[in-house]
Order: sequence, then structure tokens, then C-alpha cells
Amino acid sequence: MPKLIKNGEIIDNPYIWLQDAEEAVVPNGIVAAKKWLAEKDTIGDVAGIWLEAGDGVECLQGVDLSQFDVIGVNFPAFVDGRGFSYARLLKERLHYQGEIRALGNFIPDQLGYLLRVGFNSFQFNDDVDLDAALALHSPFSVAYQGDVSDPRPIFLRR
Amino acid sequence: MYQYDAIDQQLVAERVAQYRDQTRRYLNKELSEEAFLPLRLQNGLYVQRHAPMLRIAIPYGMLSSTQLRKLADISVRYDRSYGHFSTRQNLQLNWPKLEDVPDILEELASVEMHAVQTSGNCIRNTTTDQYAGVIADEVVDPRPYCELIRQWSTFHPEFAFLPRKFKIAVNATESADRAATQVHDIGLHIKKNEAGEIGFKIIVGGGLGRTPMVGVTICEFMPRQDLLTYLDAILRVYNQQADRKNKYKARIKILVKALGIDEFRSRVEAEWAHLKGKESTVPMSEFDRLAGFFTEPTYKTLTDKPAELTAKLAESAGFARWYERNTFDHKKAGYRIVTLSLKKPGQAPGDATAEQMQKAADLADTFSFGELRVSHEQNLVLSDVQQDQLVELWEAAKEAGFATPTLGLLTDMICCPGGDFCNLANAKSIPIADQIQDAFNDLDYLYDLGDIDLNISGCMNACGHHHVGNIGILGVDKKGEEFYQVSIGGASGHDASIGKILGPSFGQEEISGVIQKLMNVYVANRSEEERFIDTYRRLGITPFKEAAYAKVN
Repeated sequence: MPKLIKNGEIIDNPYIWLQDAEEAVVPNGIVAAKKWLAEKDTIGDVAGIWLEAGDGVECLQGVDLSQFDVIGVNFPAFVDGRGFSYARLLKERLHYQGEIRALGNFIPDQLGYLLRVGFNSFQFNDDVDLDAALALHSPFSVAYQGDVSDPRPIFLRR
Repeated sequence: MYQYDAIDQQLVAERVAQYRDQTRRYLNKELSEEAFLPLRLQNGLYVQRHAPMLRIAIPYGMLSSTQLRKLADISVRYDRSYGHFSTRQNLQLNWPKLEDVPDILEELASVEMHAVQTSGNCIRNTTTDQYAGVIADEVVDPRPYCELIRQWSTFHPEFAFLPRKFKIAVNATESADRAATQVHDIGLHIKKNEAGEIGFKIIVGGGLGRTPMVGVTICEFMPRQDLLTYLDAILRVYNQQADRKNKYKARIKILVKALGIDEFRSRVEAEWAHLKGKESTVPMSEFDRLAGFFTEPTYKTLTDKPAELTAKLAESAGFARWYERNTFDHKKAGYRIVTLSLKKPGQAPGDATAEQMQKAADLADTFSFGELRVSHEQNLVLSDVQQDQLVELWEAAKEAGFATPTLGLLTDMICCPGGDFCNLANAKSIPIADQIQDAFNDLDYLYDLGDIDLNISGCMNACGHHHVGNIGILGVDKKGEEFYQVSIGGASGHDASIGKILGPSFGQEEISGVIQKLMNVYVANRSEEERFIDTYRRLGITPFKEAAYAKVN
């Protein structure tokens, strides 16, 4: 079974990322948010949904997100930083409590920032060495801004 | 000055360790070129024409003599014993070795400095007025606010991979804008409202480069406690909605222009509604804490124009010139702000040798409480000099090559490193600066011409701010040959404007002749006390254009 990093550990990946809208929906699939929204009454059980860069999180307003075990965010390129805000908004604004998974072309050196905005699982591309990535799995020990682990900026903590 | 506590120090130390590991992995081929690129950029490292270039942040221009000595020392041990002060209060080293950069960053951290986010698509070094805190007419000292923004923007987890670079500048006085705030992605003007509360007028969407624009006001008055939540809102809208497909359309100015300011504002306000009043609202205690780092030094009780000064002004025309151009009114009686010019003929504008940096640090210790400033105009500033010590300082500054008495004049040029160093440049810029220095070396004539900003960029990325020079020179490439486009009418202050292109570009050797023709039109047409820019605004471009392209009989 393919592996991923979740909560700081390398584990088996129980879900299937359904990247292609034509792929058959399976109960352990992570399906594109747009597809899920369009077909939600008939689509049946899924493990979760994933957001493409550009989707925004506003489209999920009013959806009961607690039904999803996982919400993925795709990084079409690692320099495309839109997904950083999505994770944070899923947690802070839509109060989603489940797994937030980074998907696509993000790189291990971004883990510090990704953790701070609320990602807790990381499905790297196949060419990434997960043991090497795990060594980068921590933000700096101090931060100036608030983040999902502590919303208080440094001036409320000094 | 701001001083690091254990938290600030820890953060830069961890950043150095992180970058050391990234460099090691890159050199071991464990990290690809593509992945390493933005990581090194966000640590200040470009790879240029001949060698890497390291851009070191001088946050809002403040530098202690200890820090400047460290910069001098680094330039000797890791580079070619000089550095280049840029228009955005940074110091650039042109010849460091890529593998030495982690060591350089560690050296910087030892004096509370860094190169964090000095390039790359992230929030850059925040800049301000080089006279902050020592002029009489500012609303409040902008530096505590700059430090607040520095901390907010440093390793902001949401905004490290923006569509493009993002620059913020702060101004706190009505009488001038020495930080070119209106041509920044965000320009902040500190204001007081009728109730005497401090806040910010926020200008957004200014910028130079390929599509130069003067910023527009998004908010007339934002109370200071709400600044960071409002900045978060602007950045979120920008990060989400800017055009990421085309790097030339990815700056916030293009988004603001495309949406119109009203629509852009309403999107920011909608985002801000979620953030306003939340944890990032700045408490009074933080403003007080930050202001506590920028208290006045122990000024003596003195009077203006002491006898030593007036005597020398009467006796020495050279000193009087220097005093008139290179020193500025201080808020305290008996003190003066002194600019150490980095525009000596024969030296690239903004360059300082290690020896000069050491000397400037010594002068700061002797004459100005051990502190210096770096200016947008690429000079150094001693902000607190006793007027009865100006003669002594002038003598020392002359010896060190800092006393070129041309501040604000035609030859106090802003100039990028250009094709001599930079990969992006279409043409060289330093030889143009040299040529102009040579052609306009008569001080009496320069003084008669008065205030003129002349800015030179080697390419349309506009690091030399040519668009906002009263005269702007832009290097262009025509079939492999270097030519120069001349524009006039730009300005970077409160009256910011983008210059107009005069016409077809000129060969390198023609440039000083063209400028001479423009000056002739000015001198022939100016009314008394009228600056070049005002004459241009009154007459328009036509007479200048006709003169520049007139056929020689």
C-alpha cells in the first residue's frame, strides 16, 4: 500500500486520491470538491474531497464537513501558495476538524509552513523519500504570527 | 534601535540552521535546482551573471556601527571588500560563494541581522524614511510600526509563496515622502485623526517594473491596532486572486487595476470582516514595547548655529555647499542630520568599500551615538550630529570620500548594478552614471540646476526606479546592442508620477549630451525658484523632446 506522512508518522495510505473526474468513485476515494458538490445527492460515500488551487473554500460554505474523514488540497506547483490559505480557512473559518492533506507538487522543505496553517497529512509525489521528508517535519520552535496551533501572535505571548 | 530578545535570536538561528541544511542537500544533489531556487531566494541569494549575489536586509534602514563593521568584515572575508547599498535599504554583496552563504548568514545573526525574504515571491524588507525619528514634522516615529510589520511578515506561514514579490514602505510626514511609498505594493502613511488617534492611510497597487503605476488609496484611515488584520486581508485577497499564470501580471497592481479600487476594496473588506478584532489586533502594550526601542539618545542642551558653524560657513564655500546640500534640519536644537554621500565620481552609485564601511562606523561612533541609516537614494546617514562638530565631521567625511556635496542634485543618481553584474539587465548602467558624473562635474552649475532626481535602470525590472526619476534612463537591448531610453517627468514623493518616454532610444555615448539639452531647455524656460520637475509639468514634454532630437546643422 502507498505510504504517506500523517501526524508525524509514516503510515499506509488508506485513501485513494481520485485526481481524474472520470474515475469511478469508491468509498475510500478522495473526490474533487467540484465533482462532489455537483453530484452530492447521488455520489454515495466517499472518504473525503479535495480542493484544486483556485477553488477557494467559499464553495464549501454550508456543507457539513464533519462527514469527511479527509479534505485534500492540491498544489499544482510547489510555488503556488494558494493552498496555504485554504487549510487555514478550513480550520479557522469552516471549523473543519478532520484530516487536512497536502496533495501534489509541494515539497518537504515547505512542511514547516504547511504544518502551521493546519495540514496534518502529506501525500508526497512518488519520487519523494519519506524518511528524508520526515526529518523536515517541524516548524521553527518560535513564530511571530498566530497560526492554527496557537492563534496568538508573538505580542500576546512574549 | 530594536534589539533582539531570546525569541528573535532563536528564530534567526533556526533559519540559519535550516538554510545550512538546504545548501548541503543542494550541493549533495538531494535537493533539485528547481526546489532550491525559491529557498535560496528567500534567504537573499540570487545567482547572477558572474557569481551569486547576496542581498542582506537592513530593516527600515537602521544600522548600528557594530553591524556595519560586521558587514565590512563579511565583505572582506567572503567577497571582494565592497558592498552595494540598494534603493530598498538592503546591502548587496556581488561575489559571495554559494557554499559560504550559510556561514555569512550565521555571522549576520550574531549581530541581529539576516537576509530573510530579501528576494523571492514573498513580503520583502519593509522600508521607511531615513530621517525617521529625528525630524520635527513627522506624525510619530514610523520605526516601531516598521518593526511590527517586520515581525508580522517574517515567516508568515500563509504568504511565503505569493504570486510575486511584495513590498511595503512606510511614511510618517506630510512634508515629504522619502520612501517612495506610492510606488510600493502597499504604501502606508501614518496619520492622526481628529481625536488624535494614530492610524494609517493605506495605498495599494503601486509599483514599477514593466507596468509602472502609482498606488491608489484603499483606506483613508485605519486605526493602528487594526493594521495587521487589514494587511492580512489584503494579502489574502492578493494571494488568492492575482494572476499566477503570467509573472508580468502577477503583481498586486495588476489585480487592483483589473478589478478597480472599489471592487478590490470591497473584497478586502469582506475578508477583513472575518479578521477584525481577532488575535492579530495589536494591543497598546505592544506599541509601547516597540516604541521603547526607539527612544531618544541622550541629547545635550544646545542651540542652533553655534559660533564654530557660522564662522566656517562664512569662511569656506566648500563647507557651506556641503552644509547646504548634505545636511538636514534636526528636531533638536544644536543638532543636524548628515548624509554621507555614496555618489563619489569614479565609484558606482551606492557602492561602499569595506574601508569606507569601517570609516562610516567610526564616524557614527564619534559623531552620532553609534547609529546610521541607509537611504532609498543609496546613501548613508548620520542622524544625530552636533552642529558644533560638523566641521570636524566634514573634514573626516571628505577624507573618506563621503563628502560629495551633491545630495538631491543631478549627479546624486539612483543606479542599479546593471549589466556589469546582473543577469536580467539589458544594458550596463554604471558606465552611464560615470559618464554623467564626468560631464556634470561643475558644482556651480549643478547647484544652479538644483533638485533633480536622475534614476538609471539596466532593464525594465526598474531596480534603479527610472520611472520615477525626474529624468529616467532605461537600458534596452536592440539586436544585441545596448541602447538607452530616456524619460522625463517622473517623481517618487507625495507628488508621485510616472515619467514619459522622450522618444527613440539613444546610444550610450549620447546620453550626457541629451541630458545637457534637457537642462538647457529647463534653464532657458524656468521661472525663479522653479524646480526642473515643475518646469516640465508647466511646459509638457514637447520642448524637451524637440531639443533632444533636434538635428545638428
